[in-house]
Amino acid sequence: MVELRDVSYAAARARIVDDVSLALPDGKFSVILGPNGAGKSTVLKLATGLLRPTSGAVHYGGDDIRTLPLEALARRRAVLSQHVELAFTLPAEDVVLMGRYPYYGRVPSQEDREIVRRALEIVGMSERRAQPYPTLSGGEQQKVQLARVLAQIWNYDTPRTPRFLFLDEPTTSLDVRYEIHLLDVARGLLGVDCTVVAILHDINVALHYGDHFVFLSGGRVAASVDAAGVTQPLLEEVFRVRAHRVQDATTGDQLWRFAL
Amino acid sequence: MTSRQFQLLLLLLLAGAVVTSACVGAFMFTPGEAGHYLLQGLGLQPATPGVDDLARNVFLKLRLPRVVLAGVTGAVLGVSGTLMQGLFRNPIVEPGLAGTSAGAALGAALVFVLGEHTTLAFTAPLGSLAVPLMAFAGGFGATMIVYRVSAAFGKVDVFTLLLAGIAVNAVCAAGTGFLSYIARDPQARNITFWNLGTFTTAEWRGVTLVSVCFVAGFAWCLRYGKALNALMLGESEANFLGIDTRRLTWSLLVVNTIMVAVATAMVGVIAFIGLVVPHVLRMLRSSDYAFLLPASALLGALVMELVDVVARVVIAPAELPIGIITAVVGAPVFLLILLRQRRVSGF
Repeated sequence: MVELRDVSYAAARARIVDDVSLALPDGKFSVILGPNGAGKSTVLKLATGLLRPTSGAVHYGGDDIRTLPLEALARRRAVLSQHVELAFTLPAEDVVLMGRYPYYGRVPSQEDREIVRRALEIVGMSERRAQPYPTLSGGEQQKVQLARVLAQIWNYDTPRTPRFLFLDEPTTSLDVRYEIHLLDVARGLLGVDCTVVAILHDINVALHYGDHFVFLSGGRVAASVDAAGVTQPLLEEVFRVRAHRVQDATTGDQLWRFAL
Repeated sequence: MTSRQFQLLLLLLLAGAVVTSACVGAFMFTPGEAGHYLLQGLGLQPATPGVDDLARNVFLKLRLPRVVLAGVTGAVLGVSGTLMQGLFRNPIVEPGLAGTSAGAALGAALVFVLGEHTTLAFTAPLGSLAVPLMAFAGGFGATMIVYRVSAAFGKVDVFTLLLAGIAVNAVCAAGTGFLSYIARDPQARNITFWNLGTFTTAEWRGVTLVSVCFVAGFAWCLRYGKALNALMLGESEANFLGIDTRRLTWSLLVVNTIMVAVATAMVGVIAFIGLVVPHVLRMLRSSDYAFLLPASALLGALVMELVDVVARVVIAPAELPIGIITAVVGAPVFLLILLRQRRVSGF
């Protein structure tokens, strides 16, 4: 379980995150939601260890993140960012191999190579493995990055240990097909002892994939609820819009529509 | 061809270049003679006094240290270019551009001209540790300024980098120019020559210091292949992969400056080698730093041996300054890289 205990973060005297306490349940897909400037990215940076809280503590499965060496932490959690550019040219598989860096010294083992091969297979990029990363399309690049984080927290083989995947608005620049694919793969990780935490913007997408929902507003937790807790008053208050539910005529899904 | 075979090929070419460089010059040696003198110098073969004394002395005291110095300096500059490009995440960076060389030169020139022992001759510039230490201080200060200005907020800005490099280089060059202006004549002439890079000052003590610094620094850097690769993704991503980017930055800046500063104090400013060597290797083979680091040492040494041979031969019996040749070859490559970068990213 990832826990934030009374976490605050201030930069240039402004409190960006204000006394946030959160418990992100194991084996679930948690979604962080909130308007722009609510502190979502900062909370994610604090939870992943990129930023140190001004006060409070972050715990991974009971261990204080400050006691974990960077490399040990890298074996437990991976982070997929919005869009990752490469400063130089490397083939796609070399980028995926970076996910194994926390596991080997100077030369990757046969097992590391095998994991890279399977990760590329899962994201459907096996045939492009030798292609230079900068020449791939944005969607393909994001698939390679997904394969990289899969390789980093590889948990498809036994024995399994709890692993965490953080997604920082991973689908922002992707078309709908890539978006669904990426979130499907992430959702599939729940079956292999992984916990997923994502910042998503689309509330309907979030409700479709998520199990647990954290609403942030003004650097504070407005609500931490399951799907049933995502109510009209909550959405209207957090996003300051009017919200109403509609039913999709063919699938019967409940969808939210918004208006000013 | 695998990376290992490629490196082996470079090693063979380097061996050929070293032999050529050892034999060619105002004094010509056959490889056989050179081998004999080398063995005699090492005490592995008895030398008959009175026979070949002059030739042996020229080879062991002038030619051989020069060959070693050229090779090690080339390796230093090649590796330094690779390290700095990795650190700045940009293919146009090299110790000449980032101010390391010019800063080191200024530091060294300060000691030469204003040092207590103003008689300190250029032929033994490393006779006192003050020179390499001041060179390190100057090189480190200059590099830090360029790095801090251009790499703020976790990203390296190319424009800022170039401009900061120009500014810092200009200040350092002005300082060195001022020193050579106020210096007494023989020193001033030497500074001018040394500003363009020269191996004529090679002597064993200095060569040993440069070599020791290189070997230690290079061995230390080899462990950072993975980290530099991860840094291609940016600082945050490298951090997520378990790499302490702050520590990485600091240790690389320090080690890189030690290697470059000590070499610069000895041979002067040699630009463009650190730019061209990694660029050629990236084009021919791969940008994987686990490959680039050893390969850039080999290719740097190889290129420098060849440049030194050209410098000795082209207007013999006089010699061309090294920097003139490297600039003629390197500047067009620099422009090409800029053009390519512009086409790719339109920065």
